[in-house]
Amino acid sequence: MRISLNKVEQIDNHLFNRGNTEDKLIFEAMLILDPALKSQVSWQKKTLDFVQHYGRKKIKAEIESVHRQLFNEPAHRCFRDKILSLFK
Amino acid sequence: MSSIKASDNTPAEREKLFMHLYKKAFPATARYVNKKGGSFEEARDIFQDALVIYYEKLTGSSFVLNVDESSYILGIAKHLWAKSFRQDIRYTPLDNYEFVEFVNEQPSTSMLLHHLETAGQKCMDMLKAFYYDKLPVATIARLFGYSTIHSATVQKYKCLEKVRETVKEKSLTYEDFIE
Repeated sequence: MRISLNKVEQIDNHLFNRGNTEDKLIFEAMLILDPALKSQVSWQKKTLDFVQHYGRKKIKAEIESVHRQLFNEPAHRCFRDKILSLFK
Repeated sequence: MSSIKASDNTPAEREKLFMHLYKKAFPATARYVNKKGGSFEEARDIFQDALVIYYEKLTGSSFVLNVDESSYILGIAKHLWAKSFRQDIRYTPLDNYEFVEFVNEQPSTSMLLHHLETAGQKCMDMLKAFYYDKLPVATIARLFGYSTIHSATVQKYKCLEKVRETVKEKSLTYEDFIE
C-alpha cells in the first residue's frame, strides 16, 4: 500500500480506537510532532461525518420507497385503508 | 425477521426488512400520533425517522433487542414526538437529531454533500457500506466486484483519502464563496 494510504489507515485506526497500545502511543507522539497530521485527522473525521449523513439520506430514500409501494400498490390496499381510516 | 445479518445487508434484504417493519409497527405509531392530534404526514415522518434509528441500532455491534421490535420502534417514535414538542416546533427532522455536526447545516455543507453525491458517488457508496451499513469486508468485496479482501480494503482507503481531499479542498472553497 502507498505510504499515504498507510497514513489514512493509521488515522482510521486512531479514530476508531483500534490497534495495540504501542501503535496508539506512537500515533499520539506523531500527532504532537506533526501539525499536518493533526489537520488530516480532523479532515478525515469530517469526511466520516459526511459518510454518515450520506448513509442516512440513502436509507431514508429506501424507506420512503417502501412507503410509496405500501400506499400506492393495489396489493397493499387493505393495509393502506386501515391506516388512513385512523385519520378520518 | 427482526434483524438483518450483516452479510445479507443488501438493498433487496433491507427492502424486505423495512416492508416487514412497516406492516408490523406502523399501525401502532399511526394510532399514537393520531391520538396526540397529529396528521398522517407527521406519523409518516416520525415513523420513518424511528426506522432509521432502529436500523442504525441493528447495524451497531453491541445491540441486543430484549423487547418486541414493534414496541421498541413505538418507543423511539414516542420519544421523537415528545422531543418535537419540547423544542416547540411541530416536528424536527432527523438531521437535527443525534447528529451534532449537522445541527445548523451551513450552505457550504449541503453544497459539498451534493458535490460528493454527484462527482464521487462510487466512493461514497463504498464508504457508506463500510462505515454506515458496517458490512463485513468480504461482502463489500463481493458487492463492489473486488476479487480479494485485500484489494477491497486498499480501495476503501483510496476512497477515504480521495473524499477527504475533496472535503478539505471544497470546504475551503465554499466557505470563501459564501463569506
